[in-house]
Amino acid sequence: MKAHDNSLKYFSLGTIWLWLIVFALLPFALVTLASFASHDDTHLLTTPATLLNYFQLNNAIYLKIFKQSFYIASTCTVICLLLGYPFAYTIARMQSRYKSLLMLLIIIPFWTSSLIRTYSMITMLKPKGIINSILLWTGIIDKPLPLLFSDTSVMIGLVYNLLPFMVLPLLTNIERLDNRLIDAARDLGANRFTTFRRIILPLTMPGILSGSILVFLPAMTIFYIPDLLGGSKSILLGNLIQNQFLIAQNWPLGSAISVVFTLILAVMLLVYWHSMGNKERDLL
Amino acid sequence: MTSLFRFVVVMIAFFVTQPLFAAENVVNVYTWSEEIPHFVIAQFEKETGIKVNYSTFDSNEIMYAKLRANKNAGYDLVEPSSYFVERMQHQHMLLTLDKTKLLNAKNLDPAFLNRAYDPRNEYSIPFIWGITGIFLNKNYYNEQDAEQWKNLLDKKYANQLMFLDDSREVFSMALRMLGYSINDSNPEHIHQAYLKLKTLMPNVKLFNSEAIISILIDEDATVGMAWNGDLYKAHQENNKLQFVYPKDGFEIWVDNFVMLKTAPHPENAYKFLDFLMRPEIAKAVSMNIHYSTANLAARNLLPPEIKNNPALYPTQATLSHGEFQTDVGDQAHVLFEKYWEQLKMGG
Repeated sequence: MKAHDNSLKYFSLGTIWLWLIVFALLPFALVTLASFASHDDTHLLTTPATLLNYFQLNNAIYLKIFKQSFYIASTCTVICLLLGYPFAYTIARMQSRYKSLLMLLIIIPFWTSSLIRTYSMITMLKPKGIINSILLWTGIIDKPLPLLFSDTSVMIGLVYNLLPFMVLPLLTNIERLDNRLIDAARDLGANRFTTFRRIILPLTMPGILSGSILVFLPAMTIFYIPDLLGGSKSILLGNLIQNQFLIAQNWPLGSAISVVFTLILAVMLLVYWHSMGNKERDLL
Repeated sequence: MTSLFRFVVVMIAFFVTQPLFAAENVVNVYTWSEEIPHFVIAQFEKETGIKVNYSTFDSNEIMYAKLRANKNAGYDLVEPSSYFVERMQHQHMLLTLDKTKLLNAKNLDPAFLNRAYDPRNEYSIPFIWGITGIFLNKNYYNEQDAEQWKNLLDKKYANQLMFLDDSREVFSMALRMLGYSINDSNPEHIHQAYLKLKTLMPNVKLFNSEAIISILIDEDATVGMAWNGDLYKAHQENNKLQFVYPKDGFEIWVDNFVMLKTAPHPENAYKFLDFLMRPEIAKAVSMNIHYSTANLAARNLLPPEIKNNPALYPTQATLSHGEFQTDVGDQAHVLFEKYWEQLKMGG
């Protein structure tokens, strides 16, 4: 029986390892190799090996693209946190039989592809769309608002798509919060604000951090939302990499951008990892 | 351990093998999306017993990258645009066509034969063509407001214009504004075109290549750049739309069929290509996708409201302002892409 358990364990672990090696490590190794290659008119990749692709990245335009992506992703994360925290808190502390229904409602949008939901946002925001029609009909405005193809619509789309990634880790975290600690704080004379600042906030910090990471990382690279809702007027990191591979046919440079980006994200994850205590690490 | 090793070998073999259908009675066709309707493919399969494996792409660059990344992708017939025919020929990817196997080539429109991108049509057969021009919505603008590309620089179009999300198309327009050829590869002229586009950027509302028709119909954008076939389609839902052939010149694009040197089923590919050039088949394709056919016999079969529609079949006098796209070389491509990035980042 014991031996049987072990083989099952090894099989499932082996499958996961194999999966990660074939579909994550191997492709990344190939991209890393490609980032040191040269390219010419007839070859996508060729020798000699070079560092030139990395030197090319030290270019004002790429730094600008990175800064822009970083700025958009940070803004989106902050908005998601401000919207998501009170939301998650309310649901988690709620004593209602509808609680599981409300949690289900957060999950339901995932049943539809994010791309399709982004297209449906276009229908909401366009000049003849639902929001403008309602506002016109009620007489609040007399001319359609130019909502679509602006920075506002990009932010609406990003927050809409990524909010659940903020809410779900927060929910799990807040639900585990020990009520007795809050009661004790109140008994000892802390007001609501102090209780929140000194007790609730520090205890839910792991949820805030993992939610923020889950929102920030995709927000850096989701290229179709700025494309569809912003009218492709600016280039973000995702588009930049895609263009180097498909339009400019410069695979080495595209690979170098991907590698640098992956490294930056890895560093951010490490910082996050170190910022947590041992106990929280175990909880993850 | 050995079974794990065997598993890995099988997995790797699975990913690197050639398409398994190489030996079967099939033809592998790779075209622009929605180009060939299913009933046309079904008819060919019924007549010949040859199965058509049909896949599609939505940009020349994606098609080209895919073919270059995997030289043995197994495609027989591919449908690049004119300038990519030239580019692929420079890379020695194309088979010289045996015209004795393409008897229906006699139906082709001479206006689209022997053009600079393939001077004796040794490698390519023109199939569908169109114009990149100006569209406007008559509820918002008059035709006189936008007779030329240059007019779009006017301040009254601030944050109004739509352009195709395609560096080559947008640079072609800027080159025409300056009076240069759309195929100009002089770096100095391309730089001037970039500066021109920079002054145009405040007027741009969006770049889009995927959802043009719904944007036109719903008036999400009311003036800008569009392909004539898309405008024709949108016009059926919104009759305020108007297509304008810019007086300062425009681009004529042609989608052509070519055969790859690596084609595993050349004989079947000839049969399918010859089938597509039958007048009634070319007519069915053209009516299905609402673009103009390069097949003269098919064009004569079209209903009068289509073949006499100036948005789809302009007069020779109008067409004389147009230019066929040719390959500008890798150096110009790199420049287009570099300036395109700068343009979008406002740098």
